Amino acid sequence: MSLETQHRAKTQATLATEAIVEEQGRYVYCVANAGEEISLGKIGIEEHEVYAIPYKDVCAVVHNCPAQPYHSDDQEMVKSWVMTHQKVVDAACERWGTVLPLSFDTIIRGEAEKSAEQNVKDWLKQEYEEFKRRIQKVRGRAEYGVQVFWEPEVIAQSLTWTSPEIRNLEEEIKTKPKGLAYMYRQKLGNLIKREMETKADECFKDFYSRIRKYTDDVRVEKTKKAEPGLQMIMNLSCLVYRDRYSELGEELDKINRMRSFAVRFTGPWPPYSFVGAA
Amino acid sequence: MEPTRNSHATLVDLLDRVLDKGLVINADLIISLAGVPLIGVNLRAALAGMDTMLKYGVMKEWDERTRSWEREQRQKKVEPIHTAQIAR
Repeated sequence: MSLETQHRAKTQATLATEAIVEEQGRYVYCVANAGEEISLGKIGIEEHEVYAIPYKDVCAVVHNCPAQPYHSDDQEMVKSWVMTHQKVVDAACERWGTVLPLSFDTIIRGEAEKSAEQNVKDWLKQEYEEFKRRIQKVRGRAEYGVQVFWEPEVIAQSLTWTSPEIRNLEEEIKTKPKGLAYMYRQKLGNLIKREMETKADECFKDFYSRIRKYTDDVRVEKTKKAEPGLQMIMNLSCLVYRDRYSELGEELDKINRMRSFAVRFTGPWPPYSFVGAA
Repeated sequence: MEPTRNSHATLVDLLDRVLDKGLVINADLIISLAGVPLIGVNLRAALAGMDTMLKYGVMKEWDERTRSWEREQRQKKVEPIHTAQIAR
């Protein structure tokens, strides 16, 4: 089915069931470590009222919404939804200290014989032990992003000075006739690439072990494209005790001060990377 | 150094977390619609610098290797106890 057909089918279905689905979903922002039945006010996406549905000493932080996902082609609108999602999780975090955040657009639905509200309660009940275990794991801690970059051109240049193998090959190229020199230059390119990877390996392991000391847990994320002239060689999500982030910051300073290296340190974030399945 | 959370500069970091991560709910309890996960992909494509380095091809294998090295490191921590138990 094409996207367009899907969309049309969706629109028709939506029109037909609009009256029924109205308010039949619960958009879930996070699970918090408190059993309060309380409203946080109209701070939700599209100014919906955000409130807590408790079970024992945990609660789901939600707003009422139709049983359909938030979806828009307007990037600015999506961006503002995502930011609002984050703000609500922040507000919950501020109020209750420890939260298990959910990703954007997670909506619990109702069924013919069971309301969405009841589904949320049953979900909390069923997962209660697991939630308590995960809350324990992230309590008193926050997530920080650590990204390390280097300047690949400067690093490659310095390798040609320090690696005898590269230096020899460069010398050899000078003595070769044009056609052959081309082949040798390709060989040189591969050699530099290999040496770069070895160097990146060393850096990664060194930085990783230094950063690990100040963290309670670490996730290694995929590296991302960086701004021109820089290359990301390390992308970590770190779970850090709230009173230890400055020590981590000091260690990162040391890396940041190294020539041709730069560090990005972001956070504190809710522990998004540490509440999913282990 | 101090961590930053300036909303503009770290929007990408925020999206990486809010769109992909967090607590997972059993699929039969939640609303889902084909195509909806694209919401994140589109948004990120619209923001500069969101391509992974993998698209570059540069150091692709290296990136994979590094991450598998780290996974091994994790497992190693558990292994000695496990082996010791079997030995007894």
